Amino acid sequence: MLKVLIPTIMLFPTIWLTSPKWLWTTTTAHSLLIALTSLTWLKWTSETGWTSANTYLATDPLSTPLLVLTCWLLPLMILASQNHINPGPISRQRTYIMLLTSLQTFLIMAFGATEIIMFYIMFEATLIPTLIIITRWGNQTERLNAGAYFLFYTLAGSLPLLVALLLLQQSAGTLSMLVLQYSQPLQLNPWGHTIWWAGCLIAFLVKMPLYGVHLWLPKAHVEAPVAGSMVLAAVLLKLGGYGMMRMMVMLDPLSKELAYPFIILALWGIIMTGSICLRQTDLKSLIAYSSVGHMGLVAGGILIQTPWGFSGAIILMIAHGLASSALFCLANTTYERTHSRTMVLARGLQVIFPLTAVWWFTANLANLALPPLPNLMGELMIITTLFSWSPWTILLTGLGTLITASYSLYMFLMSQRGPTPNHITGLQPFHTREHLLITLHLIPIILLVTKPELMWGWCY
Amino acid sequence: MNPYVLAILLSSLGLGTTLTFASSHWLLAWMGLEINTLAIAPLMAQHHHPRAVEATTKYFLTQATAAAMILFASTTNAWMTGEWSISNLSNPLASTMFVAALALKIGLAPVHFWMPEVLQGLDLLTGLILSTWQKLAPFALIIQTAHNVDPLLLTLLGVTSTLVGGWGGLNQTQLRKILAYSSIAHMGWMIIVIQYSPQLTLLALGMYIIMTSATFLTLKMSLTTKINTLATTWSKNPVLASTTALVLLSLGGLPPLTGFMPKWMILQELTKQNLPIIATTMALAALISLYFYLRLCYAMTLTVSPNTTNSTTPWRTQTTQTSLPLALFITATLGLLPMTPAILMLTT
Repeated sequence: MLKVLIPTIMLFPTIWLTSPKWLWTTTTAHSLLIALTSLTWLKWTSETGWTSANTYLATDPLSTPLLVLTCWLLPLMILASQNHINPGPISRQRTYIMLLTSLQTFLIMAFGATEIIMFYIMFEATLIPTLIIITRWGNQTERLNAGAYFLFYTLAGSLPLLVALLLLQQSAGTLSMLVLQYSQPLQLNPWGHTIWWAGCLIAFLVKMPLYGVHLWLPKAHVEAPVAGSMVLAAVLLKLGGYGMMRMMVMLDPLSKELAYPFIILALWGIIMTGSICLRQTDLKSLIAYSSVGHMGLVAGGILIQTPWGFSGAIILMIAHGLASSALFCLANTTYERTHSRTMVLARGLQVIFPLTAVWWFTANLANLALPPLPNLMGELMIITTLFSWSPWTILLTGLGTLITASYSLYMFLMSQRGPTPNHITGLQPFHTREHLLITLHLIPIILLVTKPELMWGWCY
Repeated sequence: MNPYVLAILLSSLGLGTTLTFASSHWLLAWMGLEINTLAIAPLMAQHHHPRAVEATTKYFLTQATAAAMILFASTTNAWMTGEWSISNLSNPLASTMFVAALALKIGLAPVHFWMPEVLQGLDLLTGLILSTWQKLAPFALIIQTAHNVDPLLLTLLGVTSTLVGGWGGLNQTQLRKILAYSSIAHMGWMIIVIQYSPQLTLLALGMYIIMTSATFLTLKMSLTTKINTLATTWSKNPVLASTTALVLLSLGGLPPLTGFMPKWMILQELTKQNLPIIATTMALAALISLYFYLRLCYAMTLTVSPNTTNSTTPWRTQTTQTSLPLALFITATLGLLPMTPAILMLTT
C-alpha cells in the first residue's frame, strides 16, 4: 500500500519543483508509473481475505479493482486537462494538478481504509478538492450553484452517517472492518434501528446517486472541467457503491424489508433518467444522466445482497467508470473545439474525424452494455439477481436496458452520423494526446473481457 | 494609541482573565470579569468613531448586566448555603442564574443579540480579542458550575445557539457580523457537551480560538471588512486567498481539516450519552453555517480571474504587517486533525 501511497504524496513536491517546460510530462509519466505499480494489488493472497502489512490500510478483492481504477485515472486526468489548463499562469497549473493529486491520495486512503471512520474522513476529504475543481475551473456561471449542490447534498447525507457510525462504535467497541464482519449487529428498538439503518446508507445513496437525491449530479458533472467530470463519474460515484457494500455486512437482518423502497427507487430511476437522456440537448448532461441510470442499477444490485448482485455491482462500477470517463473525454474534445455542449451544434463528425468516430462508437457500445464487454456482464448479473428476487423487476430493468440502448445510439448518431454542417469542417484535427487518452480508457475495458476475474470481488 | 496606555490596558486584560482562572471565590471571579470589561472598553473605543463608541456602550451594558447577575447569584448562594466557593453551587436558583449570566457574557442564543452589533463596530484586532480572549474567563467559570445546572437548559442553549448562529449569518455581507454569528454557533457546540465532558469544551474552545484568529488575522492582512472587498484579496496576496478558502471550510467543520476535530469528538460524546437525535440536529445545523462560509470562499478564491471579476483591483503595495502569527494559525487550522489524540491529552 505504501508503495503507491508515498509516491503519490511525493507527487506534491514534484508538481511544485518541476520546471514549467516539463511539468505536464513529468506528472503524467510519474502517475503512469504509480498506476503500473498499483496493478500489483490485483494479485490477491486469498480469494476473500484482506491483504495488508498493517491493520489500518488493507486491500481486498472488493477494493482492489477500484483502487487500480483510481490510480489509472490520474494520468488520464492529467492528459485530458493539458489543453485547457496550459494557457494559464504556471502556479495555477501546478495548483490544478495538485488538486488532482490530493484527490488521488484521499481516494487511495479511502479505498484502502480498514477503519470505517478513516474511510469516512477520506470520503469527506474528497469533497474539498472536487469542490475547488468544479467551482474554480468550471466554465459557466452555474458552476457556483453546482458546487453548492454537490457539497450540501453529500454532507446532508453523510453527517447522519457519522452519528450512525459513532453509535455502532459505541455498541461494538470498534469500527474496524476486519472485526465488524464477525460481530453482532446493533441492537436497538425497532424505530431506532430503522433510522440507524437509513442513516448508514443515505450518505452512500446520495453519493451514488439514487434517483430521488440525484439532483447534484447533472449540475456537478456538467459544470466541472473535464478532469473533474472524469473523476466524478469514474471514481467518486463508486465511493458510494463501495461504502454501501462495506456497510451491508453490518446492516442485516433489517435490510431484507427496508431495502425495498430504495431498490424500487433505483430501478425507477433507470427508466426516468433514461427517458430524460432521450430528450437532452446538452451532451455532458446526457452522459451525466446516463451515469445516474447505471449507478441506479448498481444500487439495486448492492441492496439485493446476493453474491451475483455484489459481483455484478463491482463489475458494472469498474466498467461504467471507464466507459463514462471515456465519454466525458470525447465530449470534452467536442467542447474544446466548438466551446459548446449542444449536441446539434457538433454533428456529423464522422466525416472529418474518422478515427474518433471509432472511439465514439466503442464508448457508446460500452455504455449500452454490448456483449462481450464487461458492462453487459455486470448489468446481466444484476438483472438476473433482481429477477430472482422478484420477477416483476424484469419490466423495469428490461425497459431500462432498451432505453439505455436508445439514448446511447441517439448520442452516437447525433454526434457522428448525418450530414456534416459547414461550420464543422474548419475544426482542428485530433491530437495524438486525445487519441491516447481515449484508447487508454477503452483498451482496459476490452482487455477486461478476457479476464473478468480481476473484477469479480469476493463473491465468486 | 499611547503605548503606555496600550500596555496598561493589555496587561489589565491579561490580569482579569488570570484572576478569574485563579479564583475559587465568586467575588474574585466577578472582579476578574469586571477588570476585563473595563480594560477592553477603551480598546474598543480607541478610534472615537460613533460606531465604535456605540459598540463599546452596548458591550459595556450587556457585560455589566451579566456581571451584576453573577454577583447577585453568588450572594444568593452565599445567603442560602453560606458557600462562596465556585465549585460548590448547590442552590438551583443560583446555578441557573449563573449559567444565564455567563451565557450573556459569551453570547449564547437566546441572549446573543449584542454580539453582531458589537463586533461590527470594532476594528479587526479588537474584534479578535473580543471573540477569543474574552471568552476564556467566562468559560473557566462555566466549566466549574455546569454540573450543577439542569441539563435541559444547557442543551437548549447549545442547540439554539447553533441554529441561530447558522440562520443569522446567512443574510450578512459584513464580515464581522458573519464572524459574530460564527462565534455564536461555535459557542453552542461548546456548551452542549459541557455537562458530559468539559475536556471537549476546552478542546472546542481551543480549536475555535485558533481558527478564528486565523480568520481575523487574514482579514486584517487584506484589510477587508465586507464581502465586496474580500474579492480583491487574490490580487493582494494570492497564497493567502487560497489558504483562506481552506480556513473557512475548516471553520465550517469539514474533514480532513482541524475544524472537524471538535465536532467529531463532540458528536462521539453525545452518541455515547445516548443522544443521537441531538447529535444529528447539531451536525445538520452546522451545515447552515457552512453555507455562508462557502459563500465567503466563493467571493474570495473560487471566482478569481480569468473569470469575470466582481470587484475592482487595487494597487498591490508591500505589506507592513507581521505575517508570522497568521502563518502559524493558518497552519494549525489546516493540519491538526491527525494529532487529535495528542491534543486530547492536552485537554485532560
